[in-house]
Amino acid sequence: MNKSILGVLGALALTIAACAGATTNGGASGSPAATTAAKPDIKVGAVLSLTGVGNVYGPTQRNGLQLAVDAINAAGGANGAKLQLIVEDDQSTTDGGITAFKKLTAQDRVTVIFGPTLSNTAVAADPVAQSAQTPVIAISNTGDGIVGKCDYGPCDYIFRVSLGESAAIPQTVKTVKAKLNIKSVVLMYAQDDKFSSDGFAIFKKNLTSAGITIKKEIAFSKNDVDLSGPVTQALAEDPDAIVDSSLAGPAIKVLQEVNRRKPGLPVIGGNGFNTPAIAKSAGAAAEGAISGAAWYLGNPSAENKAFVSAYKAKFNADPDQFAAQAYSAVYVYLDAVKRTPNPTSVLHDKLRDQLALTTGVSTPLGEVSFNASHDVSQQVYVVQIKNGQFTPIN
Amino acid sequence: MADQIYNAIFIGSIYALFALGFTLVFSVLDILNLAHPALFTLGAFTALFAMQQGVPAALAVVVAFVVCGIAGVALDRVAFAPLRARGAPPLSAMISSIGVALIITRLIQFAYGPDFQSYPAGSLPAAVYSLAGVELDTLRSVIIACAIGLMLALTYLVRRTRLGRELRALAENPRAARLLGIDVDRAIAATFFLSAGLGGVAGVLYGFATNSPFSQMGLAFELKAFAVMIVGGMGSIPGAVLGAYLLAFGEIASLAVLPSELRDAFAYGLLFIVLLVRPAGVLGRRPPDRV
Repeated sequence: MNKSILGVLGALALTIAACAGATTNGGASGSPAATTAAKPDIKVGAVLSLTGVGNVYGPTQRNGLQLAVDAINAAGGANGAKLQLIVEDDQSTTDGGITAFKKLTAQDRVTVIFGPTLSNTAVAADPVAQSAQTPVIAISNTGDGIVGKCDYGPCDYIFRVSLGESAAIPQTVKTVKAKLNIKSVVLMYAQDDKFSSDGFAIFKKNLTSAGITIKKEIAFSKNDVDLSGPVTQALAEDPDAIVDSSLAGPAIKVLQEVNRRKPGLPVIGGNGFNTPAIAKSAGAAAEGAISGAAWYLGNPSAENKAFVSAYKAKFNADPDQFAAQAYSAVYVYLDAVKRTPNPTSVLHDKLRDQLALTTGVSTPLGEVSFNASHDVSQQVYVVQIKNGQFTPIN
Repeated sequence: MADQIYNAIFIGSIYALFALGFTLVFSVLDILNLAHPALFTLGAFTALFAMQQGVPAALAVVVAFVVCGIAGVALDRVAFAPLRARGAPPLSAMISSIGVALIITRLIQFAYGPDFQSYPAGSLPAAVYSLAGVELDTLRSVIIACAIGLMLALTYLVRRTRLGRELRALAENPRAARLLGIDVDRAIAATFFLSAGLGGVAGVLYGFATNSPFSQMGLAFELKAFAVMIVGGMGSIPGAVLGAYLLAFGEIASLAVLPSELRDAFAYGLLFIVLLVRPAGVLGRRPPDRV
């Protein structure tokens, strides 16, 4: 008896709380709605890996998107209409990505989708947006087959602001050859990670064509808890530098091992190196590490300075490249949507056409344009960690 | 060559310390505690938190041992004891422990975010010394010594002390142990305290070695620990240690004889052969549980 009374009281309390919450939310969103009654909000969606293996990247991407949307709305929105950001978590799975894409295109009817975080998910979920004729702007997919020529057929609604390894690595190899006079390397890579193994293939091709000898190729697993064995094996070859194609976790271990056994030996990496976590965790071991990147924290451009200080003020941390790319993507979208008549129409072909015309949009990444394949065209920064900071060397 | 042996001893010690906590709970209670990787992570982050407050590294290890030990006892009370009281099958306990693992991991993520963290600069020994022509670093040498010391201490505790006798009696037959006057609840609590404490210390030591603790760092050890336990003999404490060093030496040895792409295939292939010869594991006495 007592239990049932308690149950009823509990349910009542929950209902009251829910009603109170609804009222509060309604009140909060009521006032901006009243001021922008003339123009409906423009819905923008994002599919991010907030949980699961990709959760190292998803949260900072969400921060970058939110920061840009808030700043744009505070400055009057897109031609007077506010942007409304709807974020879905794909749980780092392809199924989660497909479900989220279906919800955003069919139910929320968003004008654009930013994401998804992981390339594997993008290959599975982008066709949903393509068939719903909803533009997608990839903010972190660097693999092949995301834009331009896609396995599933036409992908003209898919765009990408994230610089692929195929653009960054050739520039890195060219720069290290010219600046450091490197003649031989050992090439290490995480064999069970698509990003790392794609990077390995691109490094191999470019090192070979640059006339740099690859003394040995050493594979390891992204889940290896220790890389002292593979690094010891690499150093036994006495190379001029170690090239490591991996994400940040293994990269930290490689840098620490190299520093422990042969301090000062250059370590060259791909995009996975370009996160503050590398300098923070590897500490002195990260000094001198070189990578090609789409963005670096200390870029003195006005857009980047404004972005970094706003991010720090709001999230009390330095942004990373993923946040910068997400933030920049919103401004690329804003540029196009301002030129699009009736952007909230269910037909998004006009928005797609305007996105395709994107040229020289100023962002924290530098000036961003889309090429004929809808892929990003921007400057590549070859950066080296000096005193814990990424510093350009090209 | 000597470098690689040192590498194998180091990584084998970490595997062993991790697997010991896992195997202790299994040997006494016949349940696989899948929250063990989360307790490992909790250890690394407890030490991080303590060191950020100015606690020295050595004391932070002790703090992590105690905090994780208490978390282990709480884990038993919340996730396992109610199921044990109802006679639920071992599979239910496994699922329950997965739930707790997710909660602990999410709480750590909530507090620290998903990114790699690092211990305060200058708080860990960084000196390198040379021994018989091999460059050794102080930190890893200390970690190896700690791990071996803890393994010996646990072996002594289980074999030579009253608590150890109680644990062994409990492992043999819980009902008979209770009839003999053993405080079973206390013995179970001690099992979880030791298991989780060891897992936590393994987490701190590994966190120190890599200086990049992150919220999911325990996951990579789970599969290795299973392999180590099965090869050593499910529930055998010396077996877990032996299995850990076998796996570590297998991984390093494969680098010398095979292309690096085949390293895991070689290491796990070796373990497979061990199982073909001794299906109950190298030092296993009873058949594996059918979970």
